[in-house]
Amino acid sequence: MSTSSDKLLIDIGSTYFKVSTKESIEQHFRDFNKQILDDLMHKCSDTVQRFESDDIHICSSANGGLSTLIIGLTHSYSLKYATNIAYNAGINVIDSIIFQDIEDYSIPSDLIDVVIIVGGIDSNGGQFDERLDNYLEKLNYSNIVYVGNGPDAMGLASRIDKLLVLPNVIDNRLHIVEKHLKEYLTNLYQQDIEGKEDIKDLYKITGNQIYSTPYVVNKSLPEINATFSVTDPFILLDIGGATTDVHYSKDLVRDNIVTEQGHDRIVFKKLGVFKSRESLIFTAEQNEFAYELLMHLKVTESIYKENSERATKVIMQLAIFLVLCEMSHYRTANVTLKLLAMNSIVFTGGITKVLTVEDIEDVVAFFYRKILNSDHKPVTVLDANYDIWTIGAKEYASCQ
Amino acid sequence: MKVVTGVIGNDIHVVANRLMDLSLNARGYEVFNLGVNTYLEEFFDAVVETGAEILLISSLNGEAEGWGREVKLLKAKYKSLDNLTMMIGGNLTVGSGNAEDIVPRYKNYGFDLVCHQVDLNTGLDMLETYIQEHR
Repeated sequence: MSTSSDKLLIDIGSTYFKVSTKESIEQHFRDFNKQILDDLMHKCSDTVQRFESDDIHICSSANGGLSTLIIGLTHSYSLKYATNIAYNAGINVIDSIIFQDIEDYSIPSDLIDVVIIVGGIDSNGGQFDERLDNYLEKLNYSNIVYVGNGPDAMGLASRIDKLLVLPNVIDNRLHIVEKHLKEYLTNLYQQDIEGKEDIKDLYKITGNQIYSTPYVVNKSLPEINATFSVTDPFILLDIGGATTDVHYSKDLVRDNIVTEQGHDRIVFKKLGVFKSRESLIFTAEQNEFAYELLMHLKVTESIYKENSERATKVIMQLAIFLVLCEMSHYRTANVTLKLLAMNSIVFTGGITKVLTVEDIEDVVAFFYRKILNSDHKPVTVLDANYDIWTIGAKEYASCQ
Repeated sequence: MKVVTGVIGNDIHVVANRLMDLSLNARGYEVFNLGVNTYLEEFFDAVVETGAEILLISSLNGEAEGWGREVKLLKAKYKSLDNLTMMIGGNLTVGSGNAEDIVPRYKNYGFDLVCHQVDLNTGLDMLETYIQEHR
């Protein structure tokens, strides 16, 4: 039997794909005129052909993940629990709705992959009335799952077509129950990956399950100390072409969620440096401090229109600043992290090929000074060789 | 009856909170104890999720005074809390103060029952009397 070091690990991103063997890691810019498999074989056929299909392990974030809309009763419990589970299953939360105000929310025009309805402990039924049915009638979605209080389940199942009912995510002590929803969402994501024509092709070269990249990265976090000098609590930023993933130690959140997992994940769907570059620039234009950051970096807003190495560098620095802003008290995302308690900040992904530690520290220091009025300086760690992904991928490979 | 309880704000006085939990259970209430360090929104959200009829907030470091001012404003955002019985107890001021000043102030904040430096069992007796009179 081969060891994990004999395996070929492949990560398909929205912009690049990476191929790792025990000798080296290759990174290639994707050719969007070609199918992924053709592109991969064109650029790395020698490497791929050296391995048996059972020794090839692939993960992908190239499909952008599934989108979910969550309808719940409160921010502190039902929405928070379901959002946390969704993010950890690799799903992107596009909106969350407080049921009592459901009539005030606009209907998203895009197709929602999965709608999650949640709320109430099992002894508190009668929460979801016909306002839910009215809203859902106008919504365009593929799947719908109910993980709320028990008494409402039967009534909703008879009223809502194809509603899947799973056990409540809130137990009778108001604690989170992750298992069933997480399993369902993970399988749904898996089916989505397998269903994409491009990804389906990749099964021609691998005999193993293709996983989602965020899942693989999350798997590596408990092992991160073996490779890097990282002190807890830390955050890991994976600034990609289309999205930015943040994995954070749970010690950084003031939370009422108690789980065994040490790290959670949040994704910013519109903050990326290639495919999502336009929306990143839009976000920067809405941020009053971004202009000051540009001045600090000695460039002007005209850099947004440039297509140079310098512009890419600035966009990446902006991405770091904006993501930190989103997770601070300044712009409250789904979670607000205690960034002053953070000891390390780890960077992975394409950003590590462009920015130096000094470039990153400059932006991080600017953020702490401007937004948090502090000289706090977490240690910057650069995963320039994609070790974090390979640690996670090997973990999976050894499990299979 | 369901009761949501906990210690408000950045207050970590857990012993009193535990005693409250035990006493409420002994009196037959179904208790949802949010523990220490609980923010106002979490109290109201827990009431919505559990369908509790009573919200019993405690404070020992006096921080409740600051939070109390926000009660009416926040509660008004919820559409299902009109019949909620709201009680607060413990040490309800920073420094010294007397109940004659403090109780009306908290009632004005929106609390139905206010127990400043009142013995736990006396406070819970007050709650029972209030429930009998109002339900």
